Amino acid sequence: MSFINFLKKLKIYIQKIPRLFRVFIILFIFPLIVKFVVLPAFSGQPITITVLINALEAAQWQPLVEEFQQQHPNIRLQIIEGPNATDQVEDLYTSSFLLGNSPYDLVYMDIIWTPKFAAAGWLLDLSDRLSSEELDQFLQGDVRGGMYQEKLYRIPFRSDAGMLYYRQDLLEQAGYDPPETFAELIRISQDLQQQNLADWGYVWQGRQYEGLAAMFVEILRGSGAFWINPKTLEVGLDLPEAINGVDFLVSTITKGISPPGVTTYGEDETRRLFQSGRAVFLRNWPYVFALASDSPVAGKFNIKPMVHAPGESSGACQGGWGLGIASTSQHPEEAWQVIQFLSSEETQRKYTLITGYVPSRRSLFNDPEIVAKYSHYPQLLEVIENSALRPPIAQYAQASDILQRYLSAALTQRMSSEQAMKAAAEETRRLLSVNSQQSSVSRF
Amino acid sequence: MKQNTIVRREQLIGWLLLIPALLVLSLVFVYPIVRAFWLSLFTENLGTQLQPIFSGLTNYSRMLGDGRFWQSMGNTTIFTVVSVLLELVLGMGIALILNQSFRGRGVVRTIAIIPWALPTAIMGLAWAWIFNDQFGVVNDLLQRVGLIQTGISWLGEPTLAMMALIIADVWKTTPFISIILLAGLQSIPQDLYEAHAMDGANPWQSFYQITLPLLMPQILIALLFRFAQAFGIFDLVQVMTGGGPAGATETVSIYIYSMVMRYLDFGYGAALVVVTFLLLVLAVAITARLLQRVRSV
Repeated sequence: MSFINFLKKLKIYIQKIPRLFRVFIILFIFPLIVKFVVLPAFSGQPITITVLINALEAAQWQPLVEEFQQQHPNIRLQIIEGPNATDQVEDLYTSSFLLGNSPYDLVYMDIIWTPKFAAAGWLLDLSDRLSSEELDQFLQGDVRGGMYQEKLYRIPFRSDAGMLYYRQDLLEQAGYDPPETFAELIRISQDLQQQNLADWGYVWQGRQYEGLAAMFVEILRGSGAFWINPKTLEVGLDLPEAINGVDFLVSTITKGISPPGVTTYGEDETRRLFQSGRAVFLRNWPYVFALASDSPVAGKFNIKPMVHAPGESSGACQGGWGLGIASTSQHPEEAWQVIQFLSSEETQRKYTLITGYVPSRRSLFNDPEIVAKYSHYPQLLEVIENSALRPPIAQYAQASDILQRYLSAALTQRMSSEQAMKAAAEETRRLLSVNSQQSSVSRF
Repeated sequence: MKQNTIVRREQLIGWLLLIPALLVLSLVFVYPIVRAFWLSLFTENLGTQLQPIFSGLTNYSRMLGDGRFWQSMGNTTIFTVVSVLLELVLGMGIALILNQSFRGRGVVRTIAIIPWALPTAIMGLAWAWIFNDQFGVVNDLLQRVGLIQTGISWLGEPTLAMMALIIADVWKTTPFISIILLAGLQSIPQDLYEAHAMDGANPWQSFYQITLPLLMPQILIALLFRFAQAFGIFDLVQVMTGGGPAGATETVSIYIYSMVMRYLDFGYGAALVVVTFLLLVLAVAITARLLQRVRSV
């Protein structure tokens, strides 16, 4: 009886509180109860690790995620599907970090984002997580691409490198060995074009975009020049060797070896020309191999490291993706477990067999299972070990934009090679000096 | 003396009543501008680990030698002047037509606003396809008529890409101007024209001597609105050309976006914002001044 009385009293008491205030109390107290009473009761729930990936690759990750889930029931790996355009994914990561309190624990990074993200302080230092023996099992270019100022911020997942595709059948027919130097490539192209064996000699990426900078890194290495020395911040774009490199590219157009439209081509336009059998040589990434093997030129082509100037060596522009841990992550240990799983030999083998993406572990290039499916992998290792990095500096995006603008001006012959490279070098030096002055100020 | 205190008290009350509005204004407008100006005196970028370091006018002197900034400023100016003038002429024509009475006028008026109501990013994508060199409608039409043999790469040539952008922008925003002008036209009493005609004036004279002068306030408003909007154009360019080819369509807002979002150079980005803002204010002031003089003549 007293209980019913108590309820009645309570009811009268509550009715005395103004209505608006009652609603307010419910709105305010309910979430508090959920937060401090209900949620802790479920604290046995798995910890969620979140990562943003472009939607295409997110679908390819699905089997890996399922396997990870089985092995680690205490961690929930949540994949957020992002846009397919790489730079839009970068924008999403950037804005989430700028606003603070980023929802992402893991960062799935293109190789060229690493220095910027690391310099901004958005990534955890992973240097102590792997021994040097463990690191040596990865491709050296991929590891170096994950470092910024001698510290490791990114563990390689899949690798990528530029190379020269050539039509083996046409070269044999005309009695040539694959070219080693720039001059040989031009000579063979001209000869094959004269014999009407192909419409075009050499196709490459000449449009003003990041692919242009990647392609040019290989030309620079092959000419014996460099872009920016990451340690001394010296700029080598106006070295005579670099200007010779630009001259080589311009000459492919003026000599009719490359189509005039090459200055508007990206990877896919050049791939289609090569696949249709209209070009002898192609500079491109490993993904072309599988696609071209399912085209009119199937079985008629091969790959080799990029051509170079006499006395120099060839370089393959290092690309690829890897994983870092966001410095704002609440669960770095669990995030590290995800990285360990994904970068392991077993996972990479599986991923390569499913998708055809190039792994970042050396041993996999001679792995019997992989070689059985992709017979060109031993050759690919030879190409990829000559890797040349785009300068791993914090202001890479800006430096790349400068180079792209002037290189594009030289290729479309709005400027001479020398003018363009001098201007590019000067502007790059100004950019780096502005920033290095500031960083020396910041130490005081 | 007594009169004076009453006036003073009324003024005080007036100011007091204004305070809420002034507060809102200063929070929404003044604070961001002052903040951007303050930030522009600092160096805050990747070189400083994103920490602000006072550097005075360094950012502004850097801007003087920044060819890319001046190129984007030139692009923006060309885009703004050409597209706003075209829109004004076309919008005036459309407004004059819509002001006549004809069957189905209501329907036509509604249809005329549709481009203005579409989201810019979506119509930008559509225009990018229209100007596509392989599959675009424009090349297809020109080829059928026999004007060209092979497809023109509209968005791949500096001048053509700018033209394509201007055409797309004119298509989208002409309705805005014509609606404003139509409202103005409807406020002009019909008997003025009748009296003018009785005095022997022809339609052209009526247009120059009655319509244009009486429509000046609406033209002024439409111009100012469109000028400020076109100067800050971002979405259309980002979707259609991304600022290319070779930076030929890069507008100031696209450049600022790269500076802040891609290069993470906040101090310099803020300086760009401040200079652009001041130039815009100056341009608007000059336009308004000129038009006022025209009106008073």
